[in-house]
Amino acid sequence: MRRVLSIVAVAMVVLGLAVTGWAAESTLEKINRTGVFTVGTRTASPPFGYINKQNEWVGFSIDLTKLVHKNIEKKLNKSIKFELKESLPATRIPLLTSGAVDLIAGTMTDTRPRRDSVDFSLTFFVTGAQFLVKEGSPIRGIQDIPGKRVGSQQGSTNERIIRERVPQAQLVVFPDQAAAFTALVQGRVDTYTNDGIQLAGLKAKASNPAEWKIVGDFYSYEPYGMAMRKNDSDFRAVVNNALMEAIEGGEYFNLYDKWFGPKGELPYPMTDDVKSFLMYQVVPK
Amino acid sequence: MPLTAFLGIQYDFQWSVLWTGEHGRWLVQGIWTTVRLSALGWVFAGLLGILVGALRTVPFAPLRALAVFYVEFFRNVPLLVWLFFWYFGVPQMLPRAAQDWLNVHGPEFWSVVVGLSVYHGARMSEVIRAGIQSIPKTLLEASVATGLSVGQAYRLIIIPIALRLIIPPATNESLNLLKNSSLALTVGVAELTFMTRQIETYTAKAFEALTAGTLIYLALCLGIASIMGQVERYFRIPGLIARVERAEH
Repeated sequence: MRRVLSIVAVAMVVLGLAVTGWAAESTLEKINRTGVFTVGTRTASPPFGYINKQNEWVGFSIDLTKLVHKNIEKKLNKSIKFELKESLPATRIPLLTSGAVDLIAGTMTDTRPRRDSVDFSLTFFVTGAQFLVKEGSPIRGIQDIPGKRVGSQQGSTNERIIRERVPQAQLVVFPDQAAAFTALVQGRVDTYTNDGIQLAGLKAKASNPAEWKIVGDFYSYEPYGMAMRKNDSDFRAVVNNALMEAIEGGEYFNLYDKWFGPKGELPYPMTDDVKSFLMYQVVPK
Repeated sequence: MPLTAFLGIQYDFQWSVLWTGEHGRWLVQGIWTTVRLSALGWVFAGLLGILVGALRTVPFAPLRALAVFYVEFFRNVPLLVWLFFWYFGVPQMLPRAAQDWLNVHGPEFWSVVVGLSVYHGARMSEVIRAGIQSIPKTLLEASVATGLSVGQAYRLIIIPIALRLIIPPATNESLNLLKNSSLALTVGVAELTFMTRQIETYTAKAFEALTAGTLIYLALCLGIASIMGQVERYFRIPGLIARVERAEH
């Protein structure tokens, strides 16, 4: 009995020391130790993070994180491996807090409640929530959805807003965008709600884009930011510096043109006030 | 709390998120949906299982072949694939009017009930077949000798005894059915696991939410197991199964 107790006591002390050591490590220390920078992103949200026809995992958000990766290598002064992991709206915060990924970069909206659990980088894209319907549908916007079946993703801001603002709508919540879009295609839901730019991506990649239309004014403001663990100012500075250098130096606008320009995957011209907003985020060197 | 600080755990436990505001109501709704899914699935799986299990043992080859086909076809594909098939695949083949009717009558819930019933029906039928086949053939011959038809012999003698013999593996299958109902969240059914994820995404308190889900599933399964144990004791035929008895002297 005494032997068992002493073994348990030693184990607890060792575990306590080990856990304490782990808990105090910052993201840059972790990347330095493991040599890997892991990013959580989407696999079915064109053009932010998706698998393209050549079976490559590409996207606008992924390209931005590659710039962050270069900045991390410069800061740590060594070569770091770059890895991607899939994250969904419902799993991204747990993946981050558990340490499985170091940065979430996909289509995550920066909101005040979320800032209680994670920290956000600068805003790298601006959009709002809308509805995707089949051509010929009577739905024109958020005023038409009470009583209709509305598809959405679990954990998204859109699902939360519809639940709070339009409780008479029949919300059908799916774990990911692929299932929700299939349900819309088959008529199992009347409309699918997500951020306007993601709906445009789905429409562009659908087998018959003319069949779909995006309706409704933006019923919410959705600024996309990259999420990271809380209270990690050094890492956040590295991420923000990478974004600021990209916006200032023009690399950001080149990437924007590549994905959203007239010849890009999904033409979506940047309005002047969004461009000013992005430039004003860049604080002086 | 001093213990968690000593262990180096930097997490702010907040168990009240489980019952404050809407979250308590969500959990209750989730439990009710899980119970409804599992109960309906269990009833239909049981009926299918008894029918097909018996068909596997009748002395008539075409019926046996049909039963074998059903079992092998439905139990050898993962249940998740079946749920996608029943929810996304099958309704596509129905006429437009039937699809429209289905869309307003809870297609998510009913496709999961059908998926669970058919899949677990196949598994139950194997359990029941094992029970029936463990009954010596002499009992069937004796029943027929007393003037009963084969059908009557099955209905009045073989199946009642088989049902008592299979209570332990059937309990196992029933627990599996309850736990498999959690897959319904992939096709949009708001059952218990979905609700624990919902609480977690709204409050970021993953540990509390998932602990609640764990404990509730545990309570439901222990409840089912204890009910089955009582059913076993209530319906037992004294002397039918060898029991470990206390030594007489």
